[in-house]
Amino acid sequence: MTEPVISLRHVGKLFGDGQVRALHNVSFDVRPGEFLSLVGPSGCGKTTLLRIINGLITLEEGSVTVMGARPEPGPDLAMVFQSARLLPWRTISGNIEFALQLRGHDKAERRQRALALLGAVGLRDFADAFPHQLSGGMQQRVGLARALAVEPRVLLMDEPFAALDAMTREVLRKELLQMWARRRMAIVFVTHDIDEAVYLSQRVVLLRPRPGRIDEVVEVDLPEPRWERDPRPTPEFTALRNHLWDRIHAMAREGEALEELAGAFPMEAIEKPRR
Amino acid sequence: MIEQSAKPSPSPAENAPATVSVEELAARGRERRRRQNGFVLGAQVLIGIALLAGMYALNATSGKLIMPRPDDVLAQSIKLWSDGTMLKALGESLTVLVIGYAISIVSGILGGALLGGFHYLSRVLDPYVNALNSTPGAAFIPLIIVWFGLYTEAKVVLVWNAAFFPILINTAAGIANANRELLEMGRAFGARRRELFWSVMLPDALPSILSGLRIGAAISTVGTVIAELTMAQSGLGGLLAQAGNRFQMDKYFAVVIVLMALGTAITALLRYAERRIGRWRITS
Repeated sequence: MTEPVISLRHVGKLFGDGQVRALHNVSFDVRPGEFLSLVGPSGCGKTTLLRIINGLITLEEGSVTVMGARPEPGPDLAMVFQSARLLPWRTISGNIEFALQLRGHDKAERRQRALALLGAVGLRDFADAFPHQLSGGMQQRVGLARALAVEPRVLLMDEPFAALDAMTREVLRKELLQMWARRRMAIVFVTHDIDEAVYLSQRVVLLRPRPGRIDEVVEVDLPEPRWERDPRPTPEFTALRNHLWDRIHAMAREGEALEELAGAFPMEAIEKPRR
Repeated sequence: MIEQSAKPSPSPAENAPATVSVEELAARGRERRRRQNGFVLGAQVLIGIALLAGMYALNATSGKLIMPRPDDVLAQSIKLWSDGTMLKALGESLTVLVIGYAISIVSGILGGALLGGFHYLSRVLDPYVNALNSTPGAAFIPLIIVWFGLYTEAKVVLVWNAAFFPILINTAAGIANANRELLEMGRAFGARRRELFWSVMLPDALPSILSGLRIGAAISTVGTVIAELTMAQSGLGGLLAQAGNRFQMDKYFAVVIVLMALGTAITALLRYAERRIGRWRITS
């Protein structure tokens, strides 16, 4: 078995001078070339985990190594956000060149690679358009192209399709799977969509909220390539997704929802009888 | 916007009576816009004529001290322009205006970038910036006279003092409030502070900086005239004072018209610059 590209050990994170515990004792590995999803209800620290892996925020407890070193935003990592986050004053090609420039590529090469990447996501004709001239789905494609342009060994994706319409989302999922099959970088994919997680990934890490911690890690043993033979109508897929939903319903039954309320209101207000 | 294209109706048979050709729609739109533009222009001309008529009426009833006849103003304008008086005054005013404004642009943007980029610096200096900005610019005139005298240097300082703060404050606010999401994106791709500043913060602050420049330009013109009225009389402001003191209202109005045109031209120039630089912004 090869070295994991990302390794988290007993990770804990506190916010607000230690008042709010966002993560507690989270440990998992990401293998090279693996597609791993982080799912869970809101408030379970999915995005916080991605930021920790990317080195954007520090942690209080535990340790994280990315390719054997402390995480640091750098050439081997790339991020795709929920919104495309394109620089509105740069052209589409200019936005991709921006990421390449940060990695120290020279000018001619930047333009050439940006055009090649735009070709790969089907937007070559829009290289000199400005972001506001593109639809949301096209902008998100540019965000993906920008991340792929730096040829990362790890691609971090923070609910990249959540803000898109259902049809665009479906198309982009397929494109992502194809892109991943060709390049085989490791992907850490954050989503709150159970079906999406099972459809895309090889492993699903289910998190539970308050504080964010691992509930279960589920292997998704469905045949690939999945963009050719859609696994979603199969009984295996249904079994996996039902299992995950059962766990989430169980979380709710265990009073997690009440705990969430307790964070928002003073305890007495909830514990006291209504009348 | 790119995705839209004019396509003919897919099933012409179904709604045949309602079909209109693209050319006809475009022609209708052109016609509608032409009529609207004509209406606006017509109203503007009417108001202009009414103003002129009002001047004549006021002149006829109250005398030329209250209101000069427009044709006298025109005659004075021609005289002042042809004997070089106006040109000389305009040159003096523009010298003060341009130098003072240029210095306030450089110092305002530099200072604003420092305040916006370094959080602690802005926290430390905030009360001082606020106090100085809140003091009416005219309050500094005696001090400026004592320190710098009555001539061009002192006038330039007055203009700088007036235009500096709006530029400083708008620049600082624009940079400090640069889009957090874009900054995080830049950091995630490995941008260092310097790269973030030049590639994300500064371009994102540009609209705010430009509106600071526009406000600064307007205040610079005011500052120039005030300096020329209160210090050694020179330029257009001096001409204004001269004419006013001698109750030569036709001459006075001729100068006011030049000041009006100057202010309008400066604002139009900056609007144009704003549109050019901000062309990536959503325009519809």
